[in-house]
Amino acid sequence: MDATQLLKGVLDVAVLAVVEDEDGYGYDVVRRLRAAGLEDVGDASVYGTLRRLYTAGALTSYVVPSEEGPHRKYYGINAQGRAMLELQRKVWAEFATTMTNLLEAS
Amino acid sequence: MSTSTVAPEIAAFASAVRAALADLPAEEVDDLTEGLEADLAESMAEDLRRTLPDPVAYAVELRLAAGLPRRTEQPPRGAFSRLAAVWQSARVEIAEALDRNPSLGEFASFAGALRPAWWVLRALIAAWLLAMFFGSESVAVVAFMLFVPISVQWGRGRWSFLGVKGLVVAGNVFAVLAVPAMASAGWWSSHDTSYSYSPDVPSQLGLSMDGRPLDNVYAYDAAGNKLTGVQLFDVDGTPLTVGTHVDETQALPSPATLETGAKVYNVYPLAITRMTYDDLGDLVPDPSPDPDKAAAYANGPFLKVPAAQVPAAPAPQQPVAQPNE
Repeated sequence: MDATQLLKGVLDVAVLAVVEDEDGYGYDVVRRLRAAGLEDVGDASVYGTLRRLYTAGALTSYVVPSEEGPHRKYYGINAQGRAMLELQRKVWAEFATTMTNLLEAS
Repeated sequence: MSTSTVAPEIAAFASAVRAALADLPAEEVDDLTEGLEADLAESMAEDLRRTLPDPVAYAVELRLAAGLPRRTEQPPRGAFSRLAAVWQSARVEIAEALDRNPSLGEFASFAGALRPAWWVLRALIAAWLLAMFFGSESVAVVAFMLFVPISVQWGRGRWSFLGVKGLVVAGNVFAVLAVPAMASAGWWSSHDTSYSYSPDVPSQLGLSMDGRPLDNVYAYDAAGNKLTGVQLFDVDGTPLTVGTHVDETQALPSPATLETGAKVYNVYPLAITRMTYDDLGDLVPDPSPDPDKAAAYANGPFLKVPAAQVPAAPAPQQPVAQPNE
């Protein structure tokens, strides 16, 4: 089984969890996801997910100007994002339990 | 955006990603790719073995993750919309290249210096279109002389009341599209003093009978004998050619060569290669052509036809030199 396929379904909740921890810009979120063990996560998938969550109203966004280089766009979680994260945590926990039971029973 | 610290390959990569997203609203592209250079620079600095991925694939991943519609993979139907799409993405690329690379501004100003030539050219194109419409070359001369000042003044922005910018853009696109039509219609070659054929790639339509496209013509003389190498023209001297209907007829004509070296398709009967579709759906020469059909193409429908009594042609009012005699 390909872990990258599984990742697609849970990237939203993974990104929300990382951003809930601390605001972050695109690559910063990628780095933290990789540090957490999701090593195969694709940059573009994360940037796109951040953008989609922002459009869906789950994240706030602000630009931090930089003297040395291009601006950085930071994302932070808001109330709606927290609610989404809580819901998805429950969904994941139930799903993971179900799958674990299923796989261990067989 | 300050670009001084962005490596050129990252800037180029980011441009390519934006170009691949160019079908989206500009605002969406900006939002989606803001900070892209900084993120890439950081990621490259962190892992020196990392190489930049394929920008188009990267853009697809970005787009899918963002929940945006997949770019229509089928190229837009019709030359017009395809050209518009190409033009659009080229425009984005040029604008960004200029933005990122000030030395390109030099080139842009050079290109800008060529604009008067374009103004004259589009007047020529407009005159040609008008001449096509009226079927008269003298119209073209008069129209050209009339259109040049209009086009130039318009280009210089002196007559801005003549139309909104969109109209100018549409007109320019139309004029650009007309250039290949002009070329294929042999407008220039028809002005050659030497006797020459206009470009004679068979047209899409070509000879037809009751709406059915013809793939060959077989001629027999008055005695009923088969003729070969018959050159057919209409009264204006236009070579009568079959169309390119290889898809339907699966018959690929080979051109004949004139003494001038020109390849022509109006010499009948045409040598025909039977084509067929291979496993991949491509048209290829039929490896084992139906012998009956092949023989029919080579020999014509009849070896001999009944001799014909030809009514005497009415005497011409005044003798004219026949080009073939």
